[in-house]
Amino acid sequence: MRVVVAEDLFLLRDGLARLLSAHDFEIAAAVDSAPGLLCALLQHRPDIAVVDVRLPPAFADDGLQAALAARREVPGLPVLLLSQYVEQLYARELLADQAGAVGYLLKDRVFSDDQFVDAIRTVAAGGTVMDPEVVTKLLGRRSRDEPISRLSAREREVLALMAEGRSNTAIAQRLFITEKAVSKHTTSIFTKLGLAADQDDNRRVLAVLAYLNS
Amino acid sequence: MWIFITLLWRITARLLRRLGSGSLLVPVAVLGVAVFGITLWTIAAVALAVILVVRRPGTAAALLPVSLVCAGIWGLALAAATPGMAAWTAMPFGAPSWVAITLAPNGHGKVVKYGTAPVPVKAANQVGVGWQVLPASAAPVHKPLPPGAVYALNAPPGAVYAVNAPPGAAYAVNAPPGAAYAVKAPPGAAYAVKAPPGPVRFWRPGGLVASLHQDGGMTVRFAKAARPGGWIAVGKPGAPGPFGGAGPGTGLLPSWLLVPLALVMLTVGLWLAPRSFARLRQRAGPLVPYLRRRASEIGWGLALVPATVIGLSVFGVRPWTLAAVIAALIVTIRWPQVAADLVPLVLGILALRGFQLAAHWAALPAGDSGPGVPYGFVTVSGRQSALAAGAEASALMAFGAWLVPRTIVPHLRAAPGPDPDLAGRVRQLTETRGHAVDAAAAELRRIERDLHDGAQARLVALGMNLRAVERVLPGSPNAALALVAEARETSVRALNELRDLIRGICPPVLADRGLGHAVQALALDTPLPTTLEIDLPGRPTPPVESACYFAVAEALANAVKHAGARSAHVRIRHSDGLLRIEVSDDGIGGADPALGTGLLGVERRLGTFDGILAVNRPSGGPTMVVMEVPCALSSPKTCSC
Repeated sequence: MRVVVAEDLFLLRDGLARLLSAHDFEIAAAVDSAPGLLCALLQHRPDIAVVDVRLPPAFADDGLQAALAARREVPGLPVLLLSQYVEQLYARELLADQAGAVGYLLKDRVFSDDQFVDAIRTVAAGGTVMDPEVVTKLLGRRSRDEPISRLSAREREVLALMAEGRSNTAIAQRLFITEKAVSKHTTSIFTKLGLAADQDDNRRVLAVLAYLNS
Repeated sequence: MWIFITLLWRITARLLRRLGSGSLLVPVAVLGVAVFGITLWTIAAVALAVILVVRRPGTAAALLPVSLVCAGIWGLALAAATPGMAAWTAMPFGAPSWVAITLAPNGHGKVVKYGTAPVPVKAANQVGVGWQVLPASAAPVHKPLPPGAVYALNAPPGAVYAVNAPPGAAYAVNAPPGAAYAVKAPPGAAYAVKAPPGPVRFWRPGGLVASLHQDGGMTVRFAKAARPGGWIAVGKPGAPGPFGGAGPGTGLLPSWLLVPLALVMLTVGLWLAPRSFARLRQRAGPLVPYLRRRASEIGWGLALVPATVIGLSVFGVRPWTLAAVIAALIVTIRWPQVAADLVPLVLGILALRGFQLAAHWAALPAGDSGPGVPYGFVTVSGRQSALAAGAEASALMAFGAWLVPRTIVPHLRAAPGPDPDLAGRVRQLTETRGHAVDAAAAELRRIERDLHDGAQARLVALGMNLRAVERVLPGSPNAALALVAEARETSVRALNELRDLIRGICPPVLADRGLGHAVQALALDTPLPTTLEIDLPGRPTPPVESACYFAVAEALANAVKHAGARSAHVRIRHSDGLLRIEVSDDGIGGADPALGTGLLGVERRLGTFDGILAVNRPSGGPTMVVMEVPCALSSPKTCSC
């Protein structure tokens, strides 16, 4: 699997490249700025891009902007954003095109490399991975008039884990329920959110999006 | 006679009724012609009076008492200032043919004799205005003189004057006691003067003709004097009298009428004044508050124009004095404060001129004189009037000095001084600066404490963990593995704490995207459905952005914590250099900047940028926090949602 890594700090960039290489990823390019990232993405068309949000030249959200620009050129280009902080605003912008294949994680998540690599693979496969921090904040919100409010407590738990990018198997393990029960919950969630029985992955993205927009 | 008077009165009364009392302005103006003679400006005054009566009867009626009172006062002042005038007024009805006046050394005279018998000496009054010393014991001159006769006018002990008065009038005047003049005036006017030792001056009413120094007994032939029939007065001629000549009986109006006329005008004027002023007030009523305000604004500057007008009389009507009056008028209207400052200066200049005149005249020997120099209310023509001028100059100087602490000094002091607005601003800035410094110090302390207790402690723990790993790794790899996992956890916690700290200092979205997006992100993080209405065509400066962000955060946090709100609404707008932020909720209220430290802190932080915070909190009702910060927006980066 070919990866483009964008990170302005050399140590982190080098560390990421080494970690990914160790997990049998092929590093197509490792860049340190937003314009470089855009070039690399459009040139190499990698299977996944691992991008730091804050990049030169402006050291603002240049990484995010470059990733979004690349996704406008190449719809559905898998992008996993890494950041020292997570913002729901950025998460929503990532998800806005509803094409899936996006991830948004805190940099700390790299520490547990297995989960990190899983997340990369999920995104590369077209899934959606949101940092638990984003999801936790969402759970703290009270929303009364949204479709989300019709979900039961269990369904909301399932949806939250879904937003974190976990598969039905992982959700079942996490909640100590059977996979069958999980799929029952997901179907119920899709129905309540008014999502037609389309492609499963896409429905998962839309459900997460509805969740984030609530 | 009485019938005639009654008839005249009836006609006058009817005319007055028809034309209005304002028409009396014309006779008053004509009186001016009689008093001051036929000059350009007296004619102009009559013309103006006629125009006013015809076109603006109301204004004419309003002006009438003013002009009457002014004319009356002027007449009385004239009577008081003219030598012998008081005596003239006591004369019997009918013009005196001659008057003999004694003159005191100060130039003021006293009528000692008068009579109706014809006196051939032309312009008898000239005797009085001259230096004629006519002792009471001296025989009054009242004999007709045959043409060509020699006439002895005065005889101080031992003195003899010989006057040869041919047809056309030659006339000898004056001599100090003991001196003798012989004046011979042949037709065509040559004068021979025998002068006493000392200077002899030849005067015409128009000015000095010649000044000769004589050695005793010398005979001077002076053939260049008056026109035929004119005359030369030797000595001081005195200023031309107000009644057209230098003495009584020479003007267009008999002089004895002066005082009664003045009194009549004064009385009528004062009697008419209240009524016409009432009318004037009615007409100018709406203007009065404005004029009063203007007058109080200008203050002492009002005195500038009168002061320059006095300058007109002191320095004469010249181009530069006229320019000064006009300039004074402009300065008074445009720069009242400057005008007030100039008043003492102008008064000082006037006073200096007065002192100069007084010193000059006082230095001349007694009895010596020249043509009068006007100075304010007096005409300086001798030592006495010089003293009066000096007194007047002292009064002007004193007034100017009295004005200095009331005009220049306060203005000088006020220039950099305590403008109340400025003082309030300084107080406010001092206060907000204090708050800002305190807040910055508190913030630094908090950051230091957070770093010390948080990330720093975690790093220490991390180091200790790793040291333990070193120690146990060779012996028990499993224990080492647990320690490493613990170390990783510690680093995650340290990162979390650093993240929170950074968020508290400057939220990343705020730095990245500005206030609009940061508030959007804030609304997403708020556990309360929050609607936004943001219209920001650019970004405020980072400090203002930051203050506003934390203000919104505090207001939203209050809505969540205290108000029990179900939803919140944030509205941000920027117009006319003012950033206005409204945070409203549908809760039960409870926010008060005076109660909690949160909103108080926000208020202080906004105060640093001259911003204000207002909380609208009807009891039990929805709360609205309004913040306004004057600021400019920088880049035209748009954010609206």
